[in-house]
Amino acid sequence: MKILMLGWEYPPHISGGLGTACQGLTTALASKGIEIEFVVPHVFGDEKVEHMQLSSPALNDSSSPLQEAIVRIEKKTTHLKEFLTTKTTPSAETATFLEIDHQSILREVIKTSIPSLLFSPYANPDSFQEALRKFSHTELVQTGSFYSSAEHQIVKGLLPESVSEVLNYNFRSQSSSHQYGPDLFTAVDDYTVNLVSKTKGKQFDLIHAHDWMTFPAGIALSRLTGKPLVVHVHSLEFDRSGKHHNERIHKIEEAGLKEATRIIAVSYYTRSIIHREHGIPLSKISVVHNGVYAQQIKHSYEKDMAKKSKIVLFLGRITFQKGPDYFVEAAAKIIPLIPDVKFVMAGSGDMLPRLIERVAELGLSKNFIFTGFLKGKDVERMFALADLYVMPSVSEPFGIAPLEAMSHDVPVIISHQSGVSEVLQSALKVDFWDVDKMANFIAGVLRYPELRQDAIQNAREEIGRLHWGAAADKTMQIYKLALGRGR
Amino acid sequence: MPSVCFYFQVHQPIRLKQYSVFQMGIDHQYFDEKVNGDIMRKVANKCYIPANKLMLDLIQMHEGRFKISYSITGTAIEQMVKYSPEALDTFVALSKTGCVEFLSETYYHSLASLYSPEEFKKQVTQHSDLMFQLFNQRPKVFRNTELIYSDEIGALIEGMGYQGMIAEGADDILGWRSPHFVYRRPSGNLGLLLKSYRLSDDVAFRFSSRAWNEWPLTAPKFASWVHRLSGNGQLVNLFMDYETFGEHQWESTGIFDFMKALPGEVMKNQEWNFVTPSEALNRYSPTAELSYPRLVSWADEDRSITAWRGNNMQTSALQQLFELQREVYLKNNPSTLDLWRKLQTSDHFYYMCTKWFADGDVHAYFNHYKSPYEAFINFMNVLNDFRESVLGERPSSASSLPPI
Repeated sequence: MKILMLGWEYPPHISGGLGTACQGLTTALASKGIEIEFVVPHVFGDEKVEHMQLSSPALNDSSSPLQEAIVRIEKKTTHLKEFLTTKTTPSAETATFLEIDHQSILREVIKTSIPSLLFSPYANPDSFQEALRKFSHTELVQTGSFYSSAEHQIVKGLLPESVSEVLNYNFRSQSSSHQYGPDLFTAVDDYTVNLVSKTKGKQFDLIHAHDWMTFPAGIALSRLTGKPLVVHVHSLEFDRSGKHHNERIHKIEEAGLKEATRIIAVSYYTRSIIHREHGIPLSKISVVHNGVYAQQIKHSYEKDMAKKSKIVLFLGRITFQKGPDYFVEAAAKIIPLIPDVKFVMAGSGDMLPRLIERVAELGLSKNFIFTGFLKGKDVERMFALADLYVMPSVSEPFGIAPLEAMSHDVPVIISHQSGVSEVLQSALKVDFWDVDKMANFIAGVLRYPELRQDAIQNAREEIGRLHWGAAADKTMQIYKLALGRGR
Repeated sequence: MPSVCFYFQVHQPIRLKQYSVFQMGIDHQYFDEKVNGDIMRKVANKCYIPANKLMLDLIQMHEGRFKISYSITGTAIEQMVKYSPEALDTFVALSKTGCVEFLSETYYHSLASLYSPEEFKKQVTQHSDLMFQLFNQRPKVFRNTELIYSDEIGALIEGMGYQGMIAEGADDILGWRSPHFVYRRPSGNLGLLLKSYRLSDDVAFRFSSRAWNEWPLTAPKFASWVHRLSGNGQLVNLFMDYETFGEHQWESTGIFDFMKALPGEVMKNQEWNFVTPSEALNRYSPTAELSYPRLVSWADEDRSITAWRGNNMQTSALQQLFELQREVYLKNNPSTLDLWRKLQTSDHFYYMCTKWFADGDVHAYFNHYKSPYEAFINFMNVLNDFRESVLGERPSSASSLPPI
């Protein structure tokens, strides 16, 4: 069985749990004999992917004849300058752009600028070169970045109207009030068009698309090839933004969910939201809980015993979805009881300024540390320092971070409003809004070392049981269902 | 003439209320009046009252040939007095039939036997006095909390003048031997009545299980299993929680009808009769010594005590609680003593059990906490308040309140 898997990020270049989950799932699927081609917008070259083929539909050949054009465009397009100078990308979904280097951003933009060159469902590499030659560099800059080719129209024709409308939304005339900048939609459109072009002639049995960014591409490919589409929901716009969700994303999600032959939800929690918010029958939605990737387990990481204060850690995006404000309110209740405790908030997001103000207002600044966005080794060091990890998420489809904390021998408190609470028994659980109880638990874990010992011991055993193999088995069952049904 | 011996356990803990770190130093009312009252009234109506009526009917119907025994904890009695006096009345009525024996145990259903012989004896005496006061009986046979037993505990009980004791007929203890005889503590005279756990659990746990290949269990079928033991045993001890009737096995499962028919079915074979534990010890001499080198309870597959003392939280909480004995005694205040002892009830530690993370779900059913951690934090908050506010002690050990 060969799966064409559509993703948005892959470790180590990740902004959240999506890439990590894709790594765990594909590794386990591959070990069970499933052949996978995994497509992401960018391949950086340092990904470890012995188990499958990882590719990108983007231009990433730095010696390409377009190189010069890239430089010119950098100088001349104001859109590009805006993009490059925007340091405060508000959401981590777009944080993937922050991670990529300067050169990659240029590629991203040039790619965005010349979709018609990349796209041609009936073309071969030679005709691409030909098409390229037809454009002078001047022309490129002058004609700008508007999609106008017939080829692009064909992809648009493959998409449901709601999706093509959303993707071709005239972002320039809009204020930037949405938490997603125009660049993301452009990138999604671009990924969609490029992918359909790139995939021409490839053999596969089924398309497996991860989250809304890949849904348009999944829909288009499925309609083009007649292969079944499985969409995998790791996160919903509803989770990220609650009632004030982005209508464009909501529409794309809905189109993907409706078009899919089968839907995979990362939790029963998410399954019920898909049903409630999008009216999808429950019978179409299967639950596959995430696992823990063996390489993530690092009990051996040394604890810093020299530190004086206890550290309570929040690690995640500082956004509505993650409930950082409840963490601050719980801290405010703890500090009078246990003055020498540090509350560390590791992450960035649109609620950060407000929270910093709130902490100052409460007079708790000396008990708080804001680290900004952490990655890689810094995340590991942070976990090693922490005495307790708290995930007070308001709506968390799964939540892989508590598993990471547990694998570093850090006790965890998680909200009941998370998918991961369905599979974790060794965690303390609380409703995100129940700040008193959260504070009581935090005090309990800090004060009673016996609990800490038991929680760590139980977590070690539990993590051993939460392996990706089980998730892969369930996923394969769903593939069978989808293939059996066909389209 | 072989016999069947019934013993039913009647116990309700006095549950703690949700007691957060913010109540410490301010609030010294630890118990949840509402939950405790609700549960006692529910169990009284579903089990104690209808089951007692059934037992009374059976005793009358069989003209004294049907006999049973109970062990009722002090904490259960206190709550009956408070929330369901009518339930207590029905136990008193049973005590007057002459066919019902009341056994001895700790008043507080505590684990004191594992920590303090001195404290243990005081609680046993307190319970014995209560039984005498309510039922006009001075218990002669002892039943320890959760049937926890070892050679050491046997020696302690024999030293207190008891004739015999109830214990689990655990496989690893019995080996090739049968639970259907009376045994004796090694180098002692204490008689041991062993729970026939297969037959007992057929009623208590499996009765309504449709996955069980013997379902549905009928009185004639069960009686035939008992009768099959003729010639191979003297005594079938059916020991179980009284809540089996109407609470663990709902009335709709037919458990009451089963029980109603069972004595008659058993006595259809005229060899068989019913005895109380004291009668069993008088009638049947011990066949052999039986040693319990380890602590055995009636819980879980391994019949160990790990459901109450299996993890760090439980071990530490128990340790810290019993460490307060001297201070509590010095206070010489009856209500302080009573409070400390109510914290000893084994259920508080059972709620902290983490064994079921890996396997069963039996533990969850009896638990009003959402997690063992929650149970532990709640208990420790109460214990620390008790130590600091009620006893006026600063934390005694580093483990209770580490410098942060």
